[in-house]
Amino acid sequence: MGISNAFDFLQNHVYYIGSFGLIFIGLFIMLVKHNLIKVIIGLSILETGVNLFLVSVGYISKGTAPIFSKSAMEAAPMVDPVPQALVLTAIVIGVAVLALALSLAIRLYHHYGVLDLRRIKELRW
Amino acid sequence: MVNPVLLIAVPLGLAFALPLFGLISKRIVKYIPVVAFIFNFALALRLIPDVLKQAIVVEIGGFPPPFGINLVAGPVGVLFSALIALAGLLVAVYALAYITEGPKEKYHMLYLLLLAGATGVVLTGDIFNLFVFFEILCISSYALVAYIGDRAGIESAIKYLIQGAVGSSFLLIGIGLLYGLFGTLNMADLAQQIESASSISVFVPMVLIITGLGVEAAIFPLNAWLPDAHSSAPSSISAILSGIAIEVGLYAVVRVLFTIFGATNMFMFFAFLGVLTLLIGEMCAFAQNNIKRMLAYSSIGQMGLIVFAMAIATSYALTGGLFQLVSHTLGKGLLFLTAGYMIYRSGSMEISAFEGMGKRMPLTSLAFTIGAFSLVGLPPFVGFPSKFLIVRAALAKEEILFTVLIGLVLLGTVIEGAYFFRVVQVLYFKKANGNSERKDAPVAGLIPMVVFVAFILVMGIYPQLVIEVLNSAASELLHRMEYIRSVLG
Repeated sequence: MGISNAFDFLQNHVYYIGSFGLIFIGLFIMLVKHNLIKVIIGLSILETGVNLFLVSVGYISKGTAPIFSKSAMEAAPMVDPVPQALVLTAIVIGVAVLALALSLAIRLYHHYGVLDLRRIKELRW
Repeated sequence: MVNPVLLIAVPLGLAFALPLFGLISKRIVKYIPVVAFIFNFALALRLIPDVLKQAIVVEIGGFPPPFGINLVAGPVGVLFSALIALAGLLVAVYALAYITEGPKEKYHMLYLLLLAGATGVVLTGDIFNLFVFFEILCISSYALVAYIGDRAGIESAIKYLIQGAVGSSFLLIGIGLLYGLFGTLNMADLAQQIESASSISVFVPMVLIITGLGVEAAIFPLNAWLPDAHSSAPSSISAILSGIAIEVGLYAVVRVLFTIFGATNMFMFFAFLGVLTLLIGEMCAFAQNNIKRMLAYSSIGQMGLIVFAMAIATSYALTGGLFQLVSHTLGKGLLFLTAGYMIYRSGSMEISAFEGMGKRMPLTSLAFTIGAFSLVGLPPFVGFPSKFLIVRAALAKEEILFTVLIGLVLLGTVIEGAYFFRVVQVLYFKKANGNSERKDAPVAGLIPMVVFVAFILVMGIYPQLVIEVLNSAASELLHRMEYIRSVLG
């Protein structure tokens, strides 16, 4: 009984668990790693987690794509289209941020010759 | 009637058309931001009388508000867009002579994008749209901080980018949670439905959204990026970052707290946070020898003061807080612009390098002094009536706690006075050693300084010129039911 309940819970919430797992993994990488490229990878994982979370907010199990099609004419449930539009926007923004971060990392490497954040500290509080 | 959507569309469109103008002639590119913000400022002023009567709600694509994205040009939105356009215009004039090196086209393009994003944030009525405009603002400011391309600029830009990106992710998670709870993204609709949910399920998205926005609003302890970014950027960009970007972040925090969540039980916490931010900012500013870092820390202090004023949450206090926002934009903008040319002439950011500047650059030094006096809150400058309103509002609360807190705020002001007067003393009462050639800032640099000084003086002597707009802006923030009614009908 207990096991099957837990299994049901897991099955119903697997996307939420996965997305928050990715978010925490990304945050962990950003806090712990000292290499700038790894920090940026952490940022990318964090953003992926957020995007997965947004999609799963609008997801209905066994839902169809929210486009005007033959299956949409039937009574089959459609997933919420709004979060998908949000995710498209968020992905584009994420790409812009990552591209800018990587190009700044290249410039930083030109100046310092290292990407280790412990050795790049000209500015202080 | 003029459509408020032009306030966003014109700078945004010109930003992307700017490289095309650059194909025709490289020299006209730098005048395009000036033209854009003259237009925006005139339009915002033109809208003020209409908006004071009733907020203008623009439906985009013809969908009525809860379904489509809408713009809400209420008193708050138009006040902020006028402020953004004014500061943007003056700094664009300043940049005509100041920005001489580097990829100039990209500078002007990013500058237009930054301010288009800021205007979008203050006008939008949809929380995801707010996120998108916020990202436009943030990404262009990351790039502009790195504009000079030296070690400090790149390093502070990457720090700013990483902290800002984590903040934006939090904001997005919060928005996703809200959408999951209520199935809407419209701010008025969210505000209407927020009471139907249990307080704990609303609390989590609120914390996430406030944390995300708080990074840009430089609320302690989320402001580690600010002194580096503001001091390493070109001075014209520092003026915009200090005068506009963090204010817009604070606007978003206030809008979310007051209008969407109506979180009156959180205000005590924010009053403490504001005073803490103020004291930490002012004390760090006092310890600085670098002029731009000093001004950056002073911005943190001023943000703390505004957060404190907003957290008192009476109509006087909100008027005072918004007035302080205006006076901070004018004062800090002026200070960064003047500091830019003083650094340029003396070749150093150290305050001690400015000895004898009062003789070498008399007009610039005078403008710096006026800006400093205004921020400290001396009459007859604009900082005086704004700080006076905040103190009065805190005392009118007649609670012992607020009296104690306002005492701490005044202590912060004393510290502020101490470090600003120290700089003024260096400017005027120290003999210059070595170079004492008299050469002021160029005309394109002096014009915005003079206009800033004029605004500071006129608003300081006649605060009633703006008080009506500020009052109705304060009441828009305070009365969320009216906001909901004006949007949803």
